[in-house]
Amino acid sequence: MSVLWRAVTRNRWRLLAGCVLIGLHQACEATVPILIGETVDLAVSTGSLLRLVTWVGLLGLLFLLLTTAYRNGARQLMRALADESHALRLEVAAKVLDPRAEARTGDVLTISTTDADHASYLIDYVPRIFGALMATAVSAVGLCVISVPLGLVVLIGTPVVLVALQRAAPLITRRVAVRQEVAGRASSLATDLVTGLRPLRGIGAQEAADARYHEVSRESLRATLLAARTQGGFQAASTTVSTLLACGIAILAGWFALTGRISAGELITVIGLAAFLGEPFGTLAAAPSWIATARASADRIAEVLRAWPGTEEAADPPVLPTDGECLGVVVETDPSALLQLYDDGSPDVLVAPHHPELFSGTIRENIILTEISGQNGLDGVLSASAAEDVVAAHPDGLDHAIAERGSALSGGQRQRLALARALLARPRLLVLHDPTTAVDAVTEHAIARGIRDLRHRPGSQLGTLIVTTSPALLAVTDRVVVMRDGEVVATGTHASLAAADPGYRATVLR
Amino acid sequence: MTGPASLPVATPAQTGGWLLAQLRSRRLELAITLAAGLIAATASVVPVTALGRLVDLVRNGARPAALYPIAIVVVTAALIGGVASGATTALVSRLGERILATLREETVGIALRLPATVLDRAGRGDLLSRVGADVAAIGTAAAEVLPTVISAVLLAALSVTAMFGLDWRLGLAGLAAMPLYLAALRWYLPRSAPIYARERAAIGARSQLLMESLQGVRTVHAYRIEDRHLTAIDGASARARDLSIGVFTLFTRFVGRINRAELVGLATILVAGFWFVRAGWVTVGETAAAAVLFHRLFNPIGMILFTFDEIQEAGAGLARLVGVGTLPVAPAGTIKLDKADLALDHVCFAYDERVPVLRDINLRVAPGERVALVGSTGAGKTTVASIAAGILRPQSGTAYAGGVPVGELAPGVIAVISQETHVFAGPLVEDVRLARPWAADEEVRAALATVGALRWAAALPDGLHTLIGEGGYPLTAAQGQQLALARLVLLDPAVAILDEATAEAGSAGARALEESALAATRGRTTLLVAHRLTQAATADRIVVLEHGVVLEEGTHEELAANRGRYAELWEAWQSRS
Repeated sequence: MSVLWRAVTRNRWRLLAGCVLIGLHQACEATVPILIGETVDLAVSTGSLLRLVTWVGLLGLLFLLLTTAYRNGARQLMRALADESHALRLEVAAKVLDPRAEARTGDVLTISTTDADHASYLIDYVPRIFGALMATAVSAVGLCVISVPLGLVVLIGTPVVLVALQRAAPLITRRVAVRQEVAGRASSLATDLVTGLRPLRGIGAQEAADARYHEVSRESLRATLLAARTQGGFQAASTTVSTLLACGIAILAGWFALTGRISAGELITVIGLAAFLGEPFGTLAAAPSWIATARASADRIAEVLRAWPGTEEAADPPVLPTDGECLGVVVETDPSALLQLYDDGSPDVLVAPHHPELFSGTIRENIILTEISGQNGLDGVLSASAAEDVVAAHPDGLDHAIAERGSALSGGQRQRLALARALLARPRLLVLHDPTTAVDAVTEHAIARGIRDLRHRPGSQLGTLIVTTSPALLAVTDRVVVMRDGEVVATGTHASLAAADPGYRATVLR
Repeated sequence: MTGPASLPVATPAQTGGWLLAQLRSRRLELAITLAAGLIAATASVVPVTALGRLVDLVRNGARPAALYPIAIVVVTAALIGGVASGATTALVSRLGERILATLREETVGIALRLPATVLDRAGRGDLLSRVGADVAAIGTAAAEVLPTVISAVLLAALSVTAMFGLDWRLGLAGLAAMPLYLAALRWYLPRSAPIYARERAAIGARSQLLMESLQGVRTVHAYRIEDRHLTAIDGASARARDLSIGVFTLFTRFVGRINRAELVGLATILVAGFWFVRAGWVTVGETAAAAVLFHRLFNPIGMILFTFDEIQEAGAGLARLVGVGTLPVAPAGTIKLDKADLALDHVCFAYDERVPVLRDINLRVAPGERVALVGSTGAGKTTVASIAAGILRPQSGTAYAGGVPVGELAPGVIAVISQETHVFAGPLVEDVRLARPWAADEEVRAALATVGALRWAAALPDGLHTLIGEGGYPLTAAQGQQLALARLVLLDPAVAILDEATAEAGSAGARALEESALAATRGRTTLLVAHRLTQAATADRIVVLEHGVVLEEGTHEELAANRGRYAELWEAWQSRS
């Protein structure tokens, strides 16, 4: 189901109420010139005070209805619109945070902000179009009452001219789509550059990055100007024909009035209606480009919501620790494929990412990620991961607020906090991948002993699997498995393998 | 989760001043745009007054032939008006978009040159939402809203002029509603502006949360806290939504006040016309024309009001973009060096006043020398590296390269590679070329070959032109770091600082990366922060840092033979059990 259609259906009641009320509002707006004509004709030109009071009073009542209808209708629509864009945003966020989705960052921000807004504007456009149709219909009826030919000019002329104008719609759609696409690209580039700001500045590449953004920004400007020119041309055409249509009606009415077929008062009403008709006409002429914008945004959202990478059938992990065992796994090549096998989605297993990712918040909030852990054992965990001094280094301790992504902390500090976080979660099976690459050798030994003491006291049922080539960590394991090309090639204790296997020695040798 | 301190927002005076300066520098464009707008508005007013004359002609029993001149005027005006109106739209949006392009380029340019410390404190999400959502909001305003508003303002001015042209007393009656319009605005603006500002801030917070969740997505998945992050995003988004609904409710009340002004204005013209006709001051046709002119203003004025939230939003966005421009950017140094030594002279540093990180550090790396900095984690090694690179400023003491304070050096004289890798989206060759944009393909290949990355890079689907980074071909962490080293080789800086540049690869890939790092820094003045002591051991000299103080200094052999801290670290590193 398309994003736009869903936006309509899931807000149908508010949208319906909005359409009815905005339709009523526009019908009232179309009645205003009729009342003006009647007032001038029946009161101003006759000099009757009673009629003046009556017609101005009617005008007041009309305005009361008009403003009430607008207020209530617009509020309904705004609520629906805000709900819809909020819902779209969350769907996009949920999708990109879904474990099965492929990682992406750059354009997601644009899609979840700008595109979610643009797509939900449809809820504003639909009643506007409906209201314009209502206004046109009321005007046409008003004209018919005065003179059937005048009404017919509107009823026949409007659709013909609008259909003719719509021949330009595909071009506008295309230009607007290009404009949005290039603008999105500029935004993605800005995101990418700002995200990689540190490495960028490390090599003094600010100028180069600036030049690159400048280039894309200029391209975006060119696309925007092209779209603006197209829209300007379209507006010239639509304004010209709609004004000509209105003027044609007024001139025809003038002819009728001069030849005595309608009265001077009726001529005033016709002039008022003809002048008013430009409004709904303008709305109807512009509507296709609005819809095109909404549709282009909806398509980008749909693409995010649709994309599923091919689900590969999960193979069983080649080796698992037994209950209470601390198992070392030595892999010579990139172990990410191996690690994925362990992440089966069950809450008993935690495959802690090698890269320590911190979030805005306090140290405490960063360590306590899951509900079950809580305060219990926090001290023990900090000690085991040698993270006590990270906490102690800040006057606020655990309540120290971490600046964005922990960039004020050193790599070793981040790594130890991430390890503390993993240990605190106390999963039945904990899979660690090189958890000590950013710490010094002495600390590494302390951490190895800490992990052992925390998770593998006698009688413990917890299993730990450490993928590493660090001898300090391997030395505290119960068993070491050496893997090559996905196959187990050797098993033993760290000491026995180190003694007997020269290949193993070479691998874990620093 | 606590929100970070935000980047500054420009005051209305600053924003207005900036806009004025932009318009002033585009005087001719502005004049042409306004001329087109005036022609369009005139062409739109003329037919109504002409038709008012027609009413009087009808009332006076004129002959049908009297219609011809009026018809000619009306049709001519329609033709001119249509073209002028289209031109106005295109010209206004052209003017607006050009100014916007300048602004967004300035903003990104400043962002790229902001002190890293400022940006980390403020949060990148805030900045990203400025160059993303705010630019988009202003873009929409410039393309769709601004032309309408400018046309509407011109039309309103000319309609009132035309009413005065019919009869000055009718003109006065037409102005009668003006105080009510102004009162409505004075009621609405002070109430809505703070809500709009809060809405923008809420949107910034929402973007920040989303970006963080995406950047930490692996952790989010591993700990299965997707729901927690979604809830946080939901909360921020709901806050923004509620604010926008709240401000709109206010807006509908504002529209009610505008409707009241319209009614009063229209009724005034009709009642005044009634008496003026009785008094013989104006004709019925003139009264009709005045009423129609006034009624025709409902829509343009409504348009201004209907888009007022977008204009205000764009104004708030503009203030946020101009606000980035108010940030002080440390002027980049200009001094270039070919080969230089690196020295830290009595350097002290603390992140906040209370906790000293470095105490009186003295350090020298001779030209072409490779010095390794080792020590326990948290000893202050990265801080030393950051000060040497000029990223952080010490509280006292100075860092020099070639005798020049590092702050005065041109960007790129000292290159830093940290363990924070980022693969820039785009073709691989362009990623490397960031270091030297005019480097030939051959030079890029040579740099890749030096760090041992050419073989795998050439084997990618499209070779060196394979799209990598966000949305492109995925690279391993080690490959990403090799690219960073290739950028270093291509840049060929006087001084290189490697801050645990090989740690991220994990122990399996670390050795290969160490080879790359060794090749990339051969013969170069290099400060190397290392945990892997095998890497430190390859350096010409080793400096041991503990608790912010230099503890030992010497070659690997000297230090290993001592019974000091390094020997202790080395023993732990060497130990097999």
